[in-house]
Amino acid sequence: MRETTISWQRLRTGIRRRLGGRGVLPWLVPVLILSVWQLTVQAGWLSTRILPAPWAVVSAGWGLLLSGELLEHLGASTARAASGFTIGGSIGFFFGLINGSHRLAENLFDTTLQMVRNVPHLALIPLVILWFGIGEEGKLFLVALGVFFPIYLNTFHGIRSVPPDLIEMGRSYGLRGWSLFRQVVLPGALPNILVGVRYALGFTWLTLIVAETISATSGIGYMAMNAREFLQTDIVVLAILLYAALGKAADMVARALERRWLRWNKSFLAA
Amino acid sequence: MSIHDKGLDVRLDAVQRRFGERIVIDGLTTRFAAGEFVAIVGRSGCGKSTLLRLLAGLDAAQDGQIEADGQPLGETIGDVRIMYQDARLLPWRSVVNNVALGLAGRRDTVRPLALEALSQVGLADRADEWPENLSGGQRQRVALARALVHRPRLLLLDEPLGALDALTRIEMHRLIERIWLEHRFTAVLVTHDVGEAVALADRVLLIEDGRIALDQAVGLARPRARGDAAFARLEGQVLDRLLTVRSLEHRNQIRGRVSAIRADDVLAEVEVEVTDREGRRDRVVSTLTVRNLREHALEVGSEVLAVFKSNEVALAPVDGAAPASAEKRAVA
Repeated sequence: MRETTISWQRLRTGIRRRLGGRGVLPWLVPVLILSVWQLTVQAGWLSTRILPAPWAVVSAGWGLLLSGELLEHLGASTARAASGFTIGGSIGFFFGLINGSHRLAENLFDTTLQMVRNVPHLALIPLVILWFGIGEEGKLFLVALGVFFPIYLNTFHGIRSVPPDLIEMGRSYGLRGWSLFRQVVLPGALPNILVGVRYALGFTWLTLIVAETISATSGIGYMAMNAREFLQTDIVVLAILLYAALGKAADMVARALERRWLRWNKSFLAA
Repeated sequence: MSIHDKGLDVRLDAVQRRFGERIVIDGLTTRFAAGEFVAIVGRSGCGKSTLLRLLAGLDAAQDGQIEADGQPLGETIGDVRIMYQDARLLPWRSVVNNVALGLAGRRDTVRPLALEALSQVGLADRADEWPENLSGGQRQRVALARALVHRPRLLLLDEPLGALDALTRIEMHRLIERIWLEHRFTAVLVTHDVGEAVALADRVLLIEDGRIALDQAVGLARPRARGDAAFARLEGQVLDRLLTVRSLEHRNQIRGRVSAIRADDVLAEVEVEVTDREGRRDRVVSTLTVRNLREHALEVGSEVLAVFKSNEVALAPVDGAAPASAEKRAVA
C-alpha cells in the first residue's frame, strides 16, 4: 500500500514539474489554436481564400523547399538584411562614437541627425524608387537608414553613460587614446550598444518586408506578392511566418551576444 | 615601473589652486620625504582631496611648484598611483585582469605579476571572479593590488577605507602598513578619521582653508595599538586641534564677555554679553555639559569667542520682546 502511494505522489509531482515551469504548458495554447484552425478549414467553415489550413502552409513550404525556390528567396532576403544592417550599423556606430566622445562633433552633427530621425524612413519609399529604381540599392538604403538611428542613439548614450570615475581611473593608470577606448569606454558602452543592436534588428526586418513587397524581383516579400497574384494564400502565410522566424532568429543572435559579452553584468544575465 | 625602488621625495612650494573665486589650496608648502607616510586630515571641503589630485597629476596648480626628486611632478607621474574612495574596478574584467590594468606586455607575462600582487593582499584565490562578487573590503584590496603591481614610488590614498566597516578598516590598516613597510614607497593618506591617521602615519598634517594648520609628528612605535595611552593622547590632541581650527571660520563668530553661568548636575548654560557691529548689546546663551565646562575654565567676566555652527542655531520668534534681545544659542 505504502509503495503505491509513494510512487503515485512521485508521478504527480513529476507531471506537475513537466507541465509547469518551462515544460509543455506554454505550448498548450498555440497547439490548441492551430488545431482549431486546422479543423475549421477542413470542415469548410473557413474559406482557403481567407486563410489556408496550417497543414497546407507546411506542405507549401515543403514544396518550395524541394524546388529550391524557398532557399533562393530566403538567401536574397537574408543577404539584404545583413548588408543593410552592416552598412547602417557601421555608420550609426561611427557617429555615435564620435558624437559621444567629442563635444565638437556632437554640436556639429547631433541636431541634424535628430531632425532626420523624425522623418519616418518608410515615407521615403517613393523617393527611393525614383532615385534607385527597384534594384538592390534602394532596399539597402532603406534598411541602412532604419538601422542607423537605434544604433546611433544607443551608442551615443552608451558612451556618455560610462562613469567618468572609471575613465579618470584608466587615465591615472596610464591608459590613453585607443587603449583607454578599448579597455574602458567600449566595454562600458557595450550594454547600451547591444540594446541598440536588438532594436536595429527589429527595424531591419520591418523595413525589408515593406521594401520587398513594394518593389523586388526576389526575396520573401517578392514571393508573397507573387503568390497574392495567384491567390496562393498558403504561400502568403508561409512568407509571413518566415519573417517572424527570421526576426526571432536575429533576436536570439543578439541575446547570445549579450550573454557572451555581458557575462559580468548580473542584470543582463537575469534578463 | 622604475629602476628606483625608493619612495619619491616630494616638495610642494607655495602651491595654489583656485576654482573661480574660491581658493582651495592657498600657498601650501611642505615636503613628503622619501618613504615617509603622511596623513592629511581636515573637514570636508578643506582642500585635502584637491591636494591629492594635484599630486596625482589629475589636476594642475595655478601657482607654485610640485617637485618629485627635484624634477617637475609630470616627469615622474608614472611612479605615482592613486587609490580612490571607491575601488573603481572595471566590472567587465575579472579580478586579476583589473589588477593587470595598464601593465605593458603580453598576457602570459602580465598575469603572474598581477597574481603576485593579489597574493600580497590575500586574494589570489579570487583571481578569476568578477568584481561584483567581492565585498567592499575585498574590492579595496584588489584596488590596492592594482596600485602595487606598478611598484609605485608615491602611493596616494584618497579616503580609501571611508566606506568600510570598522573591523575591515582595522584589517586594512594592518595590510597597508605591512605593505608600506615592505616596499617603502612614499604614502600620502587623506582621511577624515584622526584615529586612522595616527595609526598609520609618521606625520599628520591638518589642513584648514587650504593651508596647513598643524604638522604633527607621530613618534609611536609600530605596530600601533589603538588602546595605547600615548596613542589616545595624540589622537585627542589632533582631534582637539581639528575642532578648534574648525571654529576659526571668522564669519560665524562674535566676541563677548561671560555674564552668567548657570549649572545643574549635567548641563550648564553660559550667558555671554556681546556687542554687535552696530554697537548694540546683546546676549548669547550657550548650552554645554558640565564636564565640558570644567575643561574650559570659564568664569563670569572672562573674554570668550562665541562661534555659531549652522546646524546648531535654532531661531524662534520671541513674543513682546525687542528683536535685539532675541535669544540665540551658540556653541562656545
